[in-house]
Amino acid sequence: MRDILRNPAGLAGTMLLALVLGAALLGPWLAPYDPQLFHASSRLQGPSAEFWLGTDQYGRDLLSRLLHGAPSTVFFGLGATALGVAAGAVIGVIAGVAGGRVDSIIMRVLDGLLAMPELLFTLLIVTFLGGGATQAMLAVALTFTPGMARIARSSVLSVRTREYVLAAIARGESRAWIVGREVLPNALGPIIVEATIRVSFAIMIGATLGFLGLGAQPPSTEWGLMVAEARQFMFRNPWCVAVPGIAIAITAMGFNLFGDAMRDAFDPKRNRS
Amino acid sequence: MTGPGTAPVLDVRGYGLVYDTPEGAVQALADVTLSVGPGETHALVGESGSGKSTLAWAIMRHLPANARDVSGTIALSGEDILAKSPSQMEALRGRRVAMVFQDPSAALNPTMRLGDQIAEVLMRHRDMDRDAALAEGEAALARTGILHPEQMMRRYPHEASGGEKQRVVIATAFACQPELIIFDEPTTALDILTAQQILELFLRLRSETGVAALYISHDLGLVSRIADRVSVIHEGRIVETGPVSEVFRAPRDAYTRKLMAAVPRPEVRLAVPEPDAAEAVLKVRGVSVRYGEGGWLARLIGQGPAPFYGARNVSLDVRPGELLGLVGASGSGKSTMAQVLSGLRDFSGEVVFDGRSFAARTDFDRAYRRDVQIVFQHPDASLNPRQTIGTILSRPLRLYGLCPTGRLRARVRELLEMVLLPPEFANRFPHELSGGQKQRVAIARAFAAEPRLVICDEITAALDVSVQAAVARLLTDLQRRSGAACLFITHDLNLIRQLAHRIAVMQRGQIVDSFDVADADAPDRHAYTRSLLKAVPLPAEFQGESP
Repeated sequence: MRDILRNPAGLAGTMLLALVLGAALLGPWLAPYDPQLFHASSRLQGPSAEFWLGTDQYGRDLLSRLLHGAPSTVFFGLGATALGVAAGAVIGVIAGVAGGRVDSIIMRVLDGLLAMPELLFTLLIVTFLGGGATQAMLAVALTFTPGMARIARSSVLSVRTREYVLAAIARGESRAWIVGREVLPNALGPIIVEATIRVSFAIMIGATLGFLGLGAQPPSTEWGLMVAEARQFMFRNPWCVAVPGIAIAITAMGFNLFGDAMRDAFDPKRNRS
Repeated sequence: MTGPGTAPVLDVRGYGLVYDTPEGAVQALADVTLSVGPGETHALVGESGSGKSTLAWAIMRHLPANARDVSGTIALSGEDILAKSPSQMEALRGRRVAMVFQDPSAALNPTMRLGDQIAEVLMRHRDMDRDAALAEGEAALARTGILHPEQMMRRYPHEASGGEKQRVVIATAFACQPELIIFDEPTTALDILTAQQILELFLRLRSETGVAALYISHDLGLVSRIADRVSVIHEGRIVETGPVSEVFRAPRDAYTRKLMAAVPRPEVRLAVPEPDAAEAVLKVRGVSVRYGEGGWLARLIGQGPAPFYGARNVSLDVRPGELLGLVGASGSGKSTMAQVLSGLRDFSGEVVFDGRSFAARTDFDRAYRRDVQIVFQHPDASLNPRQTIGTILSRPLRLYGLCPTGRLRARVRELLEMVLLPPEFANRFPHELSGGQKQRVAIARAFAAEPRLVICDEITAALDVSVQAAVARLLTDLQRRSGAACLFITHDLNLIRQLAHRIAVMQRGQIVDSFDVADADAPDRHAYTRSLLKAVPLPAEFQGESP
């Protein structure tokens, strides 16, 4: 952790993440107004002492909506990534450990899925599952599975031929022990790092789905949906599009920078002996 | 030899270098003084981490960003090169100072033909046009003794063998007629016989061109054959300098003496007493291993690559309590045999252990796996980095049920003491230990299973000379105490002659020779054995008869 903070990009990422996670955990209590409360007299206003970030087309306070939307947006990203990583890691580890025919079949199927653009694939799944936040989350998780499986497999493969694993095989250890105690703890690093970086993709895809009307439904305060709803009034008050847009960007950047710094910290070549 | 009045080609005086790290400045070189005269070969000898490669890079002025010169001067033919700008250094590198690296595969660009790589250097440094450079390159290759230089010029690096690639690198280094060539362990990555040829080539080219050379190596025997003067470097300081014969026969510094004493001497036997001629505990009968059969898909389509044999019809016996040496060049199949016997690789043929016969890898049961333990070459890779030493050592005890749970900690302490490590190491992680210490843990883990046969796959190859000797002694000591037999795989002939009772020689997957250690110099040895033995200088030749 100290390695991550020593790196300037890592420090910036950690601070952005702290801001976003703070908003996600405490946002609803910090919000000055009810996010659904209309202020009919002050619609589409810029920032002022009364409304710090301005108001939208119904005169709802943007700051309050942003803070209320933070949990759903951030936990959407975390949840989708966690599901995708878990499923991908299981598939990848199975392929990596089994090897041979099982490995080739799994990997060829995954290659086929990977050939499809991520967003298109997500849209396809959402079409099958129907709209809604939970469905969107499942769709993003499914989209992430093939890529994560690939990373988990290559990580397992590189560990599997290490001499300590060979020593365990030569000792006659059970397969479960070898996978659980010798291979997995040493293969987790790259998987965790990749997962952190993927959270930002998940948040962006989630926002995109919201924007397209396929994710969270109004009157939800999900950030992507906020951008979509305010789009028609973009020219009358740019704030109502910019605020949620910048929030999405900050969150994505925070996870990205943090993930990059974590990858550097995990890199054994940079470790001091 | 540097005569009086001749200016040295390379003159390093009081040079010091530090690396800035997050933990503060680390002194890599301190007060290094060293000079190489015209036509002289100066050897720089030291163990890993001693700073010998750092010095080479300091002379080339190609240092990482966190390196800082702190004192002294480096002069090339009288010119101070510490004062030169990066672009001046660029013109100087290759032109006036060339370098030959340890690993020829990494030193050559895999996407360029070998001829183009030589020509590129000539065009840049000798202002030749392309045709002239190619012609000159071919002539340079011919001088290195490559049989068909015109064909070699058209090949890519992957189409040449390690020895051929190193010849190309050496030809490139000599091509610009530099004043100084720095050799950084140029034969370490090659097998014994190829290394021997490269050394002969070096000696011939040196006498033809009269170039000055700084030769970095950890191999004292090799240095004794080629160098005029030698400097011994230890922890960034030169501890002793002098003519090779003087330094090696009468080392003055304590560290040099320790280094000399650690060189394996075949006449000093370390082996346990010859066991009684009992029935062999391990009999290998006609074992073959085929590699490269292609995947199931390739086989299905019928386009699999042609398979080749990693081991072919290998038969050998190991008697109880005996140490059998298995030697051979890299790729000769020695490690393949280690993998077969420890159940890591499929084979055909028969392995008989203690009267029980096994015909396939899957036949090996837990009793066999307990009786036959393996120690690997790389101590860094053979211990799980996320487990403590205590966990690692207690694992075989738990697995084979050798020790009641309540006694585990005490037994781990005993094991650590057995390999001369402090008992508190049980709570440490592998990365907190040195290479030699890690290898001791790996040996302790093998002996924890109370095996009857221990396979040692090049266990000393990754260690420094002084650590090698201690690990070898430890192994025979454990053998003496436990009575286990040992199959010791190595390419170090002097070492194996100290340790083994019998030696088997492998070449291209087959055992070509097998003999008692006392008969190693007998005239009826196989030609290949004799050439291997001849390629390695005996310490007695360069150190005198007594250490």
